Amino acid sequence: MFDKISRRNLLATAAIAALAWTVGLGAGETRAQSSEKVTLKLANSQWLDALRGKNLWAAVSKYQEANPNVTLEQEAIPSAEFADKLTTEMGAGQGPDVAMMQEGLFYAMADAGFLVDLSAAAEGAKLNKTNENGVVDGKRLGVAWQRAVYALIYNKPLVDAANAKVPTTVDELIASAKAVSAATPGVIGFTARHQINDFSGWFMDFQSWAYGYGVNWVDANGKLTINTPEAVAAVTAFKKTYDAGIIPIGDSFPTQRTRFKEKHAAFSIDNSGGTLNIASGGALQSGDLYAAPMPFKNPGAHQQIFVGVSSHGKHQKEAMAFVKWLVGPVGQQALREASGPDALATDVPVSEAYSKANPWAPTFVKLAETSRSTLIKGYEVETAQIMRFVMQAVEKVILANADPKTALAEAQSAIDKQF
Amino acid sequence: MVRLLPYAFILPPMIYLLVFMFWPLSRQMYMSLTNTRIVNPNRGRFIGLGNYERLIEDPAFYVSLKATLVYTVLTVIIGVTLGVVAALAIDRPFKGRAVARAILLFGWAVPGVAASLIWLWMYNERSGVFNRITELLGLGRFSWLTSTDYALGSVLAVTVWQVAPFVMLVVLAALQSVPQEVREAARIDGADGISTFRAVTLPHIRPSIQLAALLVAVWSIRRFDIIYLLTGGGPLGSTSTLVVKLRQTAFEGHELGMASAYGAIGLALALMVAAIHYTAEQRRMKRMSR
Repeated sequence: MFDKISRRNLLATAAIAALAWTVGLGAGETRAQSSEKVTLKLANSQWLDALRGKNLWAAVSKYQEANPNVTLEQEAIPSAEFADKLTTEMGAGQGPDVAMMQEGLFYAMADAGFLVDLSAAAEGAKLNKTNENGVVDGKRLGVAWQRAVYALIYNKPLVDAANAKVPTTVDELIASAKAVSAATPGVIGFTARHQINDFSGWFMDFQSWAYGYGVNWVDANGKLTINTPEAVAAVTAFKKTYDAGIIPIGDSFPTQRTRFKEKHAAFSIDNSGGTLNIASGGALQSGDLYAAPMPFKNPGAHQQIFVGVSSHGKHQKEAMAFVKWLVGPVGQQALREASGPDALATDVPVSEAYSKANPWAPTFVKLAETSRSTLIKGYEVETAQIMRFVMQAVEKVILANADPKTALAEAQSAIDKQF
Repeated sequence: MVRLLPYAFILPPMIYLLVFMFWPLSRQMYMSLTNTRIVNPNRGRFIGLGNYERLIEDPAFYVSLKATLVYTVLTVIIGVTLGVVAALAIDRPFKGRAVARAILLFGWAVPGVAASLIWLWMYNERSGVFNRITELLGLGRFSWLTSTDYALGSVLAVTVWQVAPFVMLVVLAALQSVPQEVREAARIDGADGISTFRAVTLPHIRPSIQLAALLVAVWSIRRFDIIYLLTGGGPLGSTSTLVVKLRQTAFEGHELGMASAYGAIGLALALMVAAIHYTAEQRRMKRMSR
């Protein structure tokens, strides 16, 4: 009996001890996890931007103050290499925990299944319409980081000195640009991307011209429509501007932006992010930089950056917590201060003081209400490939004087074969 | 034990080649037969010769192939000729030879990316040094990199500036192995400079020139940095070589399988060039052994 009881007691004691050890171990693990230092790697090309990069990093770094166990680390990749590098890293099952990606790259990552569902992180946040495209196949895989809309920007003192008009049409743009160059020798009339070696930037910029002339790259049935009269009109207008001698042919866009920053350019079509760069730390004072709607009939394009959490990340829980903070009031306010007039994930208004000091900002805020994505609806992942054919047609028109209608018809034919 | 010693020496490079050359190469060849996408490199499906069929039907492939062949042939002809001439020029003793040699070697010493960026500025249409010179000469401005008339020539100029010093070095080393007494004997026999070069010098340096030409050709087929940074393959595809197209297909189109097919074509071209070189070399050896 004693033996039996003793054995039963012994077994029970062992079971309780094992349970307690397991629970204790578990609790210990939880404690260890919560007190364990976690490093989150955030990939963004903007970290390298002069001044803006520093300000954006200071904004996200506020998360560390509230969460001392989390260390944020930059993965700073130049914008020209960002998509290539991130695609390669993620394809190899590596890469950052959190990435701030251009919309096209975001769709490619989502399509490959490399992003985790952010529904829990976004719960309760007052997300605005800039987040709409962050939902892919019914899952929220991204939240908006910034939406940078395009506008016509100009150096007001230069334009005023020439008594030039702020243009509302392409013809007026050419006339005003020429007038400024004539009034102030050495000044460039208009800056614009125009070379195929800057393809990814050029096609996104060109979307503003296309949308401005009413282009829809797909019809109501989802068929790709490239050689439409609207597209022909947009390409013709671009060719007219190119031939007018107002663009510094051969200059890379960073060079053109630097020229603008140094007061050597009068007009440009640029997005709010680029404009913020121009307005920061150069010879041109932000107060002398103005913006106006683009000289087209219809609204233009915007570039959108999404925040996504990698499914390869080791600290997904912590990354989700970071995103939750980011779309919350504290994170959004911190981001607002570093983002100029870019639209954010929630409606955080640009302060009056900011608008006063940066007279170009309110126009961008206004234009963000009607702007369109640079991606082709239904072909988000393939947009770059499709636009490669379109931009090759534009290149043929501007360099080889090809007929826009014929060049776009050839592009249509090539696209029909591939898609 | 002694019999095994050669194998022991060969083993490390063999392992290196297997791991870093043959394995990736065989993976690439296999990948060219699949529909692998860059975002899912391990989930490609075998599609046989599907990528190659698409390549053959794509007019852009022929544009790319033509650009590669033209670029390679011109680089070899111009680069090797200038390299040989430079080697012959600095082989003779003259005042300031060391300085001249250092200047001529500069192009080879500068990394491709840095060289491209320097030349990019020199080619700038608005403020580049070349257009400043042409304007001073009353010739006006030229679109060095954005006109189909000049882009390939401009890219070639940078490439030649980089490869000619390499050829010069190789040929210079060969020239120094030419026996002086044979040259002197030719001269005593009344041979002029050109005859001495043709009958004495050239036979000695020909294998080195051939080897340099082979290397320049293979490097030209696979050169990316200079072309991509200067023109990105444009304008109108005039400099869109196979490697530029490969990058575009892999990273823009995300089609790693198709990009591998482009790579395989490039590899086949390089192997063809190597085969021509070795056939020529074999024939030369046979002639010499007779």
